[in-house]
Amino acid sequence: MESRLLRVNLTTGDCKVETVPHAMFERWIGGSGINNWIMWEHFLTHDVNCDPRGPDNIFVFGVGPLAATGSGSGIKGRITFKSPCYGIFGDSAAGGKFPYMVRFAGFDYIAITGRAPKPVYLHLCDGDVEIRDASHLWGKNSAEAHNTLVQELGDFPSLAHTLTIGQAGENQVGIASVVSDASRIHARGGGGCVLGSKNLKAIAVQGSGGVRVHNPRGLLNWSKDFRQKIDQNEAIYGFKRRGTLGAVEMYQHIGSHFWRNNQGNMFRGDEVRSDNWVKKFHKYSEVCSADCYIACDGRYKLDGTESEKAKKYVGESFRRPEYLTTASAAGALDLRDWAEVAHWGKVTNDYGIDNQDLSTSISFIMELEQHGLLSARQKAELFDRDNQSLEWGCMEDVEELMKDMVFQRNRFGEFFHNGPYYGALRYSEFRGENFMKYATYGKGGASFTEEMRPFPTWMNNMAVASRGADHLKGIGLIEKFQRRDLSMKYFGRLEAADLSTPVLKGACTAVVENQVALLNSYGVCLFHWMLDPGGYTPEDYYGRAFAEVTGIDRTPEELMRDGERICNLEKAFNSRLGLRREHDTICERWMFEPCPEGMYPGKVAADMFETVLDEYYEWRGWDQRSGLQTEARLKSLGMDDVAEVLAADGALVRA
Amino acid sequence: MSRTPQKELVTGAVWHPPGAEIPDVEEKLYALSNQCTDCNICEVACSLVHSPDGMVNPLLARLKVDHSPQVGRKAVHPFGFAADICHHCGNPPPCAEVCPTDAFYYDPKTNVAVIAQDKCIQCMECVPGCPFDVIFVAPDGELLKCDLCGGEPACVDACATRPEMNNAGKQYVRAPVLFHTDTAGYRAVLQDKPERKDEVGMMQAMLEAGTVSSAA
Repeated sequence: MESRLLRVNLTTGDCKVETVPHAMFERWIGGSGINNWIMWEHFLTHDVNCDPRGPDNIFVFGVGPLAATGSGSGIKGRITFKSPCYGIFGDSAAGGKFPYMVRFAGFDYIAITGRAPKPVYLHLCDGDVEIRDASHLWGKNSAEAHNTLVQELGDFPSLAHTLTIGQAGENQVGIASVVSDASRIHARGGGGCVLGSKNLKAIAVQGSGGVRVHNPRGLLNWSKDFRQKIDQNEAIYGFKRRGTLGAVEMYQHIGSHFWRNNQGNMFRGDEVRSDNWVKKFHKYSEVCSADCYIACDGRYKLDGTESEKAKKYVGESFRRPEYLTTASAAGALDLRDWAEVAHWGKVTNDYGIDNQDLSTSISFIMELEQHGLLSARQKAELFDRDNQSLEWGCMEDVEELMKDMVFQRNRFGEFFHNGPYYGALRYSEFRGENFMKYATYGKGGASFTEEMRPFPTWMNNMAVASRGADHLKGIGLIEKFQRRDLSMKYFGRLEAADLSTPVLKGACTAVVENQVALLNSYGVCLFHWMLDPGGYTPEDYYGRAFAEVTGIDRTPEELMRDGERICNLEKAFNSRLGLRREHDTICERWMFEPCPEGMYPGKVAADMFETVLDEYYEWRGWDQRSGLQTEARLKSLGMDDVAEVLAADGALVRA
Repeated sequence: MSRTPQKELVTGAVWHPPGAEIPDVEEKLYALSNQCTDCNICEVACSLVHSPDGMVNPLLARLKVDHSPQVGRKAVHPFGFAADICHHCGNPPPCAEVCPTDAFYYDPKTNVAVIAQDKCIQCMECVPGCPFDVIFVAPDGELLKCDLCGGEPACVDACATRPEMNNAGKQYVRAPVLFHTDTAGYRAVLQDKPERKDEVGMMQAMLEAGTVSSAA
């Protein structure tokens, strides 16, 4: 297994191609693992404390070895960079056809540094690279830029697929996202801002090459077995029709939504309370990424008959809103009409901005208004206009505030462009009053529109995830779905599936983080695994496909150690930036305010938080007092070189 | 008006004289564009099955999800793409009729016309000769035509839409939907609107499957 890495320096215009050797796959598996290593190596020669918006930051795109091989488990491309909004490790995944076409164009990894003197885009075609002028694309939103490029580049040798940024990225809004093929978002962490700071509007790929598989017959057999297993899984049929939207109904049932800045945890409004979006709006099934046996996505086109609000958006067509789009719109902002929820998904995509950070920033301000903490004069200071209404569930207000943010029109945009945590800090400073108890965040950065308090593993995820509050790094399926079988499988005990005790919750995060790191490194989608986390295990089941594709045959135990190594590298990057135990924390609202409603009222995160965190460090083999990695653990994982770097930065505990 | 004499085709090693009875293709495939999700997995699987050295490349596939289809000739998905696959026309097929070197022969196992690559001179007459645009040209000039994978088409197996749910009376009926093998079934599904299907929620399905505890 070998692949190619393209290094582009936009300052000088140099493009060079390197081989990613087999040994790299043996150590870092691929995908996010290799991305992390490319970034780690870059910051050995560049200042790790550099300005993430400066030319020294690196933007890495990578796609794992299982992608585009016919394994049927979806394709996820991954971008990795130093996050401009939270200032820590940043990465984000998205589907679409872009990662698929990148492989056929001859590159699996792209590393971009420097800053172009004027707006440019990168054109990759069958091994050739060209930096082209993008002045005609600048100012366009992500979808317009994509459509222009696709038309310009034609269909030889193949249709073009693109990564683009919207106006938010151009204006270097911290929470700007990168959009893949105009509809799939690399939302988290501010990748769009990094590209905007480099004056890189888009990356377009066309390719007619192929991808070589080590053992095609073995892969076909694996893929057949996978398909048969998926067909026998009853949960797949609901998932095919609804995708993650199915979680709306389930989360309403257990009280796990994020309503009005988490003042509640269930949706109001008869429409959005169930997932009947599908019945009224769903027009056609659509696949999220190529090479997927599930095809959980869908597409809508509004004709104005669906609901009262839909009349405003006649003719609009976009992807089905997925769960977090719905959670941020119907939950955090309390929009109660499906047409508005769908529209919210489309506009955030077009501007290229993360709707998690945006919705929680807006709901923070709306909650201040609700408590009467904003006078007319204070609002005028914030928005540079009189009589800005801040009403829950008002789409007009939400769109105004979104434009403030995207176009950096006023103080609101300026304060909150790094997400709600830094926004609340700056606004508190500006007013000379502490409003931090209304902000929702984790690990000093992002916020996340789901209820955490009754779910110890999830709150632990929010505190320790390497890219700031995040559920995808160590997703707590064992606990939220109360999977006793998985608890027995991994720990030999039942406690991990029991919400009432902190026991084994930190362990859950540690084990699942390793598994997710593996899946991200294979370059596949997480949802296939989530449908049956005990059946399609990343270390065992997917491990066999990995062996067929790359020829690297590993035991499940070895693969789990590989996953742990990848997690440790992300942690090491954050440790170099000065993150310690005190940064692994969550906001006051989750910590001390009792859970208001739902199935578990009265719960506060503080009950179990520290115990779970201690256990997590223990399972990781990290120092519990400082939260830093230990030399012994790193050496046992074969990361002596990483330990040396950390020791030089004073970020290592020699136990 | 005199009829143009039919080209002679070979079944395995046996020549069929003009006018002789040639058996019909027993199994045909119809791709349903209204059900297609544009996941390209059929292309990937097809190229993998036909690749001697494990090379996955959609351009080597014998079928295609066409993004700029000639509207009017085929059923096009409302979002502008069409799944194209060989229709295995009645004998002799138009592609074989235009071939100057008689490179087409009938595979004795499946009765479908396939191309003998050693006879093919890559003149590409068959490409416009095909009324459905489903003979493709590989980057190296090789002409690619569906051969039904010797009777077990990989695309049918791999199709992401294959077991679309139809749970009337909570009975999950799994039928291959995208690739249909008979005309009547094809027409019925082509007229079916996805939103008409009744369904259960994910929560309910998971509860029934026991993957979620009802206490959750």
